[in-house]
This record gives sequence, C-alpha cells and structure tokens, in this order.
Amino acid sequence: MRDFLRVFFSRPISLIGLVIFAAIVVIALLAPFLFVRGPFTIVGMPLLPPGAPGLLAGSDVLGRDMVVGLAYGARISLLVGITSTLCALGIGMLLGAVAGYYGGWLDDLLMRVTEFFQIIPSFVLLMVLVAFLQPSLSSTVIGIALVTWPQVARVVRGEFLSLRSREFVQAARTLGMGDARIIVTQILPNALPPIIVVSSMMVGSAILTESALSFLGLGDPNLLSWGSMIGGSRSAMWVAWWTTVLPGVAIMLTVLALNFIGDGLNDALNPRRRR
Amino acid sequence: MNRLSYIGARLVKTVLITVAVVLLSFFLIRLAPGDTATVMAGQAGFADEAFMKSLRAEYGLDQPVPVQLWKYLTAVAQGDLGMSFVRRQPVLDVILERLPNTMLLNAFALLVAIGGGVLFGMFAARRPGSAGDASVTVLSMLFYAVPQFWLGMMAMLVFSVWLGWLPPFGIETMGADYTGLARIADIAVHMILPGVTLALYFMASYARLTRTAMIEVADQDFVKTARAKGISEGQVAHRHILRNALIPLVTFAGLQAAILVGGSVLVENVFSWPGVGTLAYEAVTTRDNPLLLGIFIVTAVLVSLFNLATDIAYSIADPRVELGR
Amino acid sequence: MAEALISIRDLTVALPPGADRAHAVDGVSLDIPRNEILCIVGESGSGKSLTAHAVMGLLPRGVTASGGQILFGGADLLRQRPEAMRKLRGRDIAMIFQDPMAALNPVVNIGQQITEQIRAHRGIGEKEALQQAAGLLAEMGLKDTKSLLKSFPHQLSGGQRQRVMIAMALSLSPKLLVADEPTTALDVTTQAQILKLIKRIQSEREMSVLFITHDFGVVADMADRVAVMRQGRVVESGTTTEVLSNPTHSYTRALIAAVPTGECDLPPPPPDAVPLMAVTRLSKRFRRGGFFSGASAIAAVDNVSLTLSRGETLGIVGESGSGKSTLARCVIRLLDPDEGEILFDGADIARMGARGLRPLRRRIQMVFQDPFSSLNPRETVGDIIIAGPRAYGEDMREASRRAADIMRLVGLNPETMKRFPHEFSGGQRQRIGLARALMLKPDVLIADEPVSALDVTVQAQVLKLLDDVRQQMNLAMLFITHDMRVAAQVCHRVMVMRHGQVVESGPTREIFAAPSSDYTRALLAAIPGRGLLAAV
Repeated sequence: MRDFLRVFFSRPISLIGLVIFAAIVVIALLAPFLFVRGPFTIVGMPLLPPGAPGLLAGSDVLGRDMVVGLAYGARISLLVGITSTLCALGIGMLLGAVAGYYGGWLDDLLMRVTEFFQIIPSFVLLMVLVAFLQPSLSSTVIGIALVTWPQVARVVRGEFLSLRSREFVQAARTLGMGDARIIVTQILPNALPPIIVVSSMMVGSAILTESALSFLGLGDPNLLSWGSMIGGSRSAMWVAWWTTVLPGVAIMLTVLALNFIGDGLNDALNPRRRR
Repeated sequence: MNRLSYIGARLVKTVLITVAVVLLSFFLIRLAPGDTATVMAGQAGFADEAFMKSLRAEYGLDQPVPVQLWKYLTAVAQGDLGMSFVRRQPVLDVILERLPNTMLLNAFALLVAIGGGVLFGMFAARRPGSAGDASVTVLSMLFYAVPQFWLGMMAMLVFSVWLGWLPPFGIETMGADYTGLARIADIAVHMILPGVTLALYFMASYARLTRTAMIEVADQDFVKTARAKGISEGQVAHRHILRNALIPLVTFAGLQAAILVGGSVLVENVFSWPGVGTLAYEAVTTRDNPLLLGIFIVTAVLVSLFNLATDIAYSIADPRVELGR
Repeated sequence: MAEALISIRDLTVALPPGADRAHAVDGVSLDIPRNEILCIVGESGSGKSLTAHAVMGLLPRGVTASGGQILFGGADLLRQRPEAMRKLRGRDIAMIFQDPMAALNPVVNIGQQITEQIRAHRGIGEKEALQQAAGLLAEMGLKDTKSLLKSFPHQLSGGQRQRVMIAMALSLSPKLLVADEPTTALDVTTQAQILKLIKRIQSEREMSVLFITHDFGVVADMADRVAVMRQGRVVESGTTTEVLSNPTHSYTRALIAAVPTGECDLPPPPPDAVPLMAVTRLSKRFRRGGFFSGASAIAAVDNVSLTLSRGETLGIVGESGSGKSTLARCVIRLLDPDEGEILFDGADIARMGARGLRPLRRRIQMVFQDPFSSLNPRETVGDIIIAGPRAYGEDMREASRRAADIMRLVGLNPETMKRFPHEFSGGQRQRIGLARALMLKPDVLIADEPVSALDVTVQAQVLKLLDDVRQQMNLAMLFITHDMRVAAQVCHRVMVMRHGQVVESGPTREIFAAPSSDYTRALLAAIPGRGLLAAV
C-alpha cells in the first residue's frame, strides 16, 4: 500500500488529475448550497460576456448564469459517469468472473456477447435505446451501463482465465480451498488492479457519452448538463464563444483528470509497467 | 488450408452477428412505449378503436410474438426495414441515399487516423521518455478527453469563423454547381474539417498503440537476432519491428470502426454533413423510430462486414493465424 | 595455448542506476582462442551472458560497457563506430540464442531471414542467396530445404529452429560463433544433437566458439577451455581437463559437485506389499479444434498404470509433451481423468466428486515447478503456509505455531513469516512451497519439476531437502522431471514416458544400467557430460 501511494504520487500527472477531480467533486457537491435558485433561473440579459456585473462566466442564450449551469452540470456528469460505471462493473465483474473461472459454455456465450458489443456501433444502439425508453437520467445511465458492461466482463474474464491456471491458484485447490474462497482470497486481489484502472477510464468515457447524448437532445429535458448547454447554444457560438467553449472545457478537464488518475493507477498498481 | 477455415469461421460469425442485430432490433421495437399503431394514429390525429384495430391488423400487430418475429426477420432479410413515419418512404431507400456521404467521410477519417497515428507512434517510440515522446503522449491524452462534437465546433470557430480558411457547413458549396474535378476539389475542401475532427480521437489511439507495439517488439529476441546479423538499422526497423508491430493495428482498425461510426453521427451533425449521422439526428428529433432503428441495423451490418475484411487482412499478414487464437 | 582470436581485457559492464548492483561484469579478462571452444560457465547473475553480448556489441538498453577492452584483429570492439560494428556482426562474429522460437521473426519466412543476412554483407541477388541458404540448411542436417525456406518459424520443431539459427549464423563463415545457452530451451535428445552439430561445424570450419552455459555436463562435452564466472568475475579458467579434474576454486568445486552425475546409488525400493496409491489404465484426452478445422482429441495420458508406496520416490521422466505433468495433475485431481482408476488408500478417487474428495485432498499435496508463479504475490509467506490448515478449519494460533516448526524443517527462518514472496530467492520460494504442502501432513507428495527453474547449486540443496523430508515423514513421493540426472539422484524407481504412454519402468539402478527400450537408451546417451563427469 505504501509502495502504491509512493509510486502514484511520484508522478506529477496523477497528482494533477487528483486535484482537478477533487475540485470538480467539491463544486458538484456544493452547487445546491451555493446557487440555491438552480440553473434554470434567468438572471439577466442573454449572451452577456464573461466579466459582466455579477456574471463571472457570462450568460447563455436565455440569460441564465453560466457559472450556475457549469456547477450543476458537474453534478449530472459525475452522477451519470459514476453510477453507470458502477452498474457496468456489477454486471461485468459477476459474469466475467464466472465465465473466466468456470469456462465452458457460459464462457463461450459471454465471449460471443462481448464480441457482438465490440463490433456493433454502440453509440447508435445507445441512441436507439434512450430514444425508445424516452430520454431521462435513468435511461441514460441504464443505456450506458448496457453498452459498456461487456468491456468490464472482457477484462475480468481475461484476468480470471489467466490467474486460474497460475500455479498458486492450483496450489490453493490442492490445499482443499473451495471455489468461493479461491476467488475471493487468491484471484480477486490479483485481478483488481486492472479492473480499477479500467473503471477510472470508464467513468471518463461515460461522461463523454452522456455529453454527446445531451448534445443531440437525448438527455434528460429537466436537467441541465454540460452537453445540453453546448447543444443549446450552437446557434450562439458565432457571437458568444463562451456559451460553447466553457462547458466543453469543463468536460475536457473532468475526463482528462480521470484519465490522468487512471494512468497513475496503472503505473502504481502494475509493477511490470514500472520503468 | 487452415487460413480458409479461419476465414470460413469469420464469415459464419459475421452472419450470426447480423442475425443477432436484427433480433435485438425486434426487441428494441417492443421497448418503445406504444406500438406502431398508436404512433400512426397519433400522427393521423385521431384514434378510434376501429381504426386502431385495422392498423394493427394491417401491420400484423395482432399476431403472436413468434409470428411477428418471423415476419420481421424475413422482411429484413429481403431489405424491408419498414417505412419512415415522417418521410413516408422505405427506410432503406432513405438510408442508402445518405450512406455514400457517410462512407466517404469515415474512409477519409480512417485513413488520416491510421496514417497520422502510425507516424506519430513511430516517432514517439524512437526515443521512449524523450520530450517528443512525452508530447505525443500528452496530445493523445488530450484528444481522448475532448468531446468530439465540441472539438468540431472549436475547429469550426477557429478555421472557418476566425480564420476563414475552410467552409464550415455541408458537403459542397450550395448553388455553385461544380462539375468534374472542380466538384471533387470542392467536396475535398468541405471534408477536411469534419474528417480531421473525426480522425483525431482515433489518431490518438493509433499513436499510443503503435508506440506500445513498437517498443514491445523492439525488446523481442528476434530483433536482437536481426542486429546480430549485421543488417542495417533501417532494415531492422522496417522488416522486423514495424512488420510485427503493425499486425495488432489491423485488428484494431476493425474494432475501432464501430466507435468511428458513433463519432460520425456527432461530427456530421456539427458540420451539417448530409450523411447517415445527420439522418439519425433528424430521426431522433422527429421521433421517427423505424428510421432510427434502420440506421442501427445498416451501420451494424456494415461495421461487421468491415470487421470481416480486417480479419481477412489479418490472416494474410500473420502466418501464425493457423495456430488459432 | 593457441593464439587468441579475441582478447577481453578488464571488461566492466555497468547496470543502470537502481539495479541491485552497480556492475554485472566486473573486470573480466579472457582470451577466446582460435579454432577452439571456450565455455563460460556460471549460474544466473554471474554476468556470463552480458559478457557474450558485449563481444557482439549488443548490450541491452541502459546497460553499458563502462571499462576495459575487447580486442579483435588489433581493434577495440568497445570503441568501434556503430556502423563498423554492424559490418563486423554477422560477417566476422555471429550469435545464436537460447530460445530459437523467440529469436526468429514469426512473420518472415525462413528463407528471407537467412538471405537478408547474406545480402546485407555481400552484394548478391536473391536467387543466389537462396541457393546458399538451402546449402547451409542441408549442411545443418535438415531435409527438404526447398519447402523449409518457404516455411515460417512456428511450423518447425524446436530442434529445426535452432538448426536454422545456426545455419543463419554460419552463412558468412564467421571467425567466431557466440552461443548463448543455445540448448537450454530444448529437450535432452534434441540438445544432444545440437551440441554434436556445433562441435562438428566448429572443427570442420575451424572457427572459434564462445559457448555460454550453466551446465557443467555441457562443458565436459563441448569445451576445449573453460572459464567459471561468479558475480561478474572470472573465478577460475583453464583447459577443460584441468578444471574438471583439478578445480582450484571452491566455487568451481561446489558447482561440479552439484551437477548430478547420472549414476544412481539409491537402493531399490523398500518392499511393501500394499501400495498406498495404485493408478490403473489412466487416460486423459484434450479436445482441440472447432467447427471448421474438425475437432480432434489428443491423448495426453494414454493408459498409464503405476503404484506408489510409503517411503519411496517414483520418478516420472519424459521430454516435453510426454504427458508427465498431465499425469501428475490427474493424480492430484487438478484435472479430471477420462478413464481408469486411482486407488488411494482403498478408495477410487478418479471420479470422486468435490465433496468426497475434500477429506482426501489434504493427504495428497504438490510442489510446483515455477518458484515465482506458485506463490500468491499478494499474500505474506505466513498466510501462504497456513492457508491449507485454515481451509480445513484449523485454529489460527495452532496453525501459526506449526508453521514456524515446518519453516524450520525446510530451512527457513520463521521470523520471515510476515514478508512477501518477492523478497525471497528462487530456492527459498521452493522451500516455502514445500512448507505449504507439508502443513497438511500429506501421505503423498507430488513434485512437479521442483528444481528445473533453479541454479545447479540451489538445485542440489532442494533435492536433498526433498529426500530428507520424504524419509522423516515417510512420504510417498511422485517426482516429475525431464532430467535423467536429477531422477537418478532421488528416485528409487523411474517410469519413462513418451507421447502419453509408458515406455518402461523399474528400479532406477536397473533402468540406468540396462535400459530395455531404444528411447530410454537415447535419453541416457543424451545426458551431457555423463561419461566424463563420472570419471572425474
């Protein structure tokens, strides 16, 4: 553990990622207390530039405060990113572990399913899913989880498959350990590092996907997210750059921070890659 | 003989994926609230029981699910993807009309991505840990983190609005009526912004993958053998390192195609490129469910065909294919 | 001594900062004589391989020759320009490596791999180069050279690949061939053929060979002169007969003593009327292939029977692919056998379900081959050792107390219980694995190549430990190995396997003295340095 922290923090990039991400989490948590009136309240003239009185980041096409919108948008991004990843992890780890450990027809089936999801254009499928389920926060989360769990299952299955044949796991079997004990005490601790790395990256890509859906008008109509802020101000981009630039930068910073963290975790958790 | 059986297996896989896509679509239809009849009735503006009933009978919605499934499967197999609610045209015709534009854009983006990515990756792998390597890594991380549609808007802002170098919208200049070479040049100029925007994310992936593969292969024993033979460094790099490092890229191109199509939906919308992506957006906004589903089926089948092609290319590039994977 | 072709003077090779020591090679001086074979022998970490790589000018990234000279034809190779060095490589000095599969490019055909070297140094056409390549392959004793030139490495056997490597290395008639453990990855019988080939080529072509090995048996067979390296230094050198018959350095003596001679002095097994374990007509098949290639089953173990009694060690000897490991894994039920029975203490465990097997499992234990992958890297040594008793519900405190005793028994310090496996050496790790198995007080111990990954001196210690433990605990031991010499040292009886079948079995002494099958005779004849070492 100490080794892990030392390696993780010895890289400036993971530290930067952690600081940015922590800041965004704090903003998201504090938003309802700082901006009690909510993101949809009109506070002034439309398209006021940043620095106008009381408007640090200007106002949008409807005259709403961009700062408030950005703060509330962080809530949606993080909520969707984290919950959809957790759902995908739940399904993917369970199926991947069972398939990788026991093999057989279940493994064959799972491999076919994950291959299927790799080959079909999952964003188009996601559009269909969300459109058919009616756009809402929950349909976005369900949709993203449904198209991303095979990715987790694949990683978990691969780890379990290779660890299963390692000699220390075979030794555990000869020592009379049951399957559950072997999975929990022998395989899982060794399989977790890549899973952790993949999940940190998945949160980032889920945030990107959510913003893309909202941009296309497939987000929850009752919530303001970074993607819908960009989509809503497309027509104003020519005259008021801040309406599109700022939410985009917010998305980029969040995803970048998560990828930095993932990279740092990868280095710290994977001794083979340390060079 | 084994390469043939490999290709045969991939062929079967492609067919199975297509069938699975159609099956999935059939169940997606049932996911949407209300059936075709309610939607049709809603659009017609009135909904009395008798009319609904006749509509249901007309579309076979009153029959048991397995019968409906069988009808759906046979219809799709014959290229019947249903009628677009809004356009009152067969879905397939609407899609086929837009498809060439999308394929053009995607092919261009793929070429730019692979070409650029491999070059940047090779450059970075030449001196791992150097400033050049670090900047390629940082840039690729940046392009991973940027939403593609936003990147497109920013590119438009800079190169069209501020600098005025490139046209922001469409596939060709409206009303110019160019023909021949002039038209091709016009389309090419229009393609630069959306194409490069679409390519950048994948270029980043390719650069990272090439870099890793090159460094990994360079550490292999056979590269040491090549040096021990006293052949030139250029030959070592070309015949031994690059040739092995490029093999995973072939498979990767297939896997990326699915993501490329997703990105294309967004980028086409930003640049009003008249392809399947903008069509999908129109289908979403007009709630034209059969059209949206048709787009999913067509793009899925095309991507799996492209994967078949990359699998075949892989089987030619790597003689070890006969060992089975 | 003959005039030197290459003189290494005070060679020092520095490791990158952060390595466990500063120098991998520390002031080595050696002469590589003309028209002779010089063997550098040493254990892992002795610097023997890096010395060879320094001669080639092919030190790995980050590793540099920081001092000394390598003189060849009046020039210092360490100070040559890269381009001059490149021209020298392949033409004057050529090299072959340990693992020919890894050393050949998997996606380029054999013909191209050979001709590119010829063409890089001589401006001749493709066709002529291919003709030369075919001639070289024929010289290496390979048949059907035409189709061989068009094949890819994975289509050849291990021995064929190494022959191709040698053909490639000799394509420009170099003055020196550097061979870095060229037979370590090969089966014994193939090793014997390759060694013979190198020896023949060396005398025919009158060239020098720098041969790196860890095996004194190979030295005895191959070398005209020998240099013993340890921790980056040459501790002893001289002609082979000198060093073998009269080693002056204690380390050399230890190395020579540790090499199993292949002479068996174990008494025949104690007579025991009722065997503890009896395997009858056991078979295990693996299915491969699929829908298109047509499924086929390969019999990894084919109709094998054996018996095992308390206090005796039965060796299962065979080359790779003989099914010896599969047999062991069936006996301990890590694999499910397809046919046959395994009578253990009166019960047939061949098809027993998990529940019935559980109380019996603890009585059959295993020591694994790989000292690195056989211990969970994320558990402390203490946790690893008490895992067995814990799985059977033994009290934690009681298990820890016993663990300390067992650790002492296998020669480990119980105070190291809190450490993780990576802090231990290979030999110590095998002791940990043995302690883990012994904690369950087994009746049968299966040792699957327990010393094949270890250096020869460590090997001898672990073998002795296994034999001591067997005596003390009155164990029945099934000892899997590819090495006849090791089998001779610890096994009362041996069973020789090939292609899943038993070739012959009997008391070790009898089999070694009078093998009844050709295959066993070939295996025995292939033991490197057998006669010479035995005579010393």
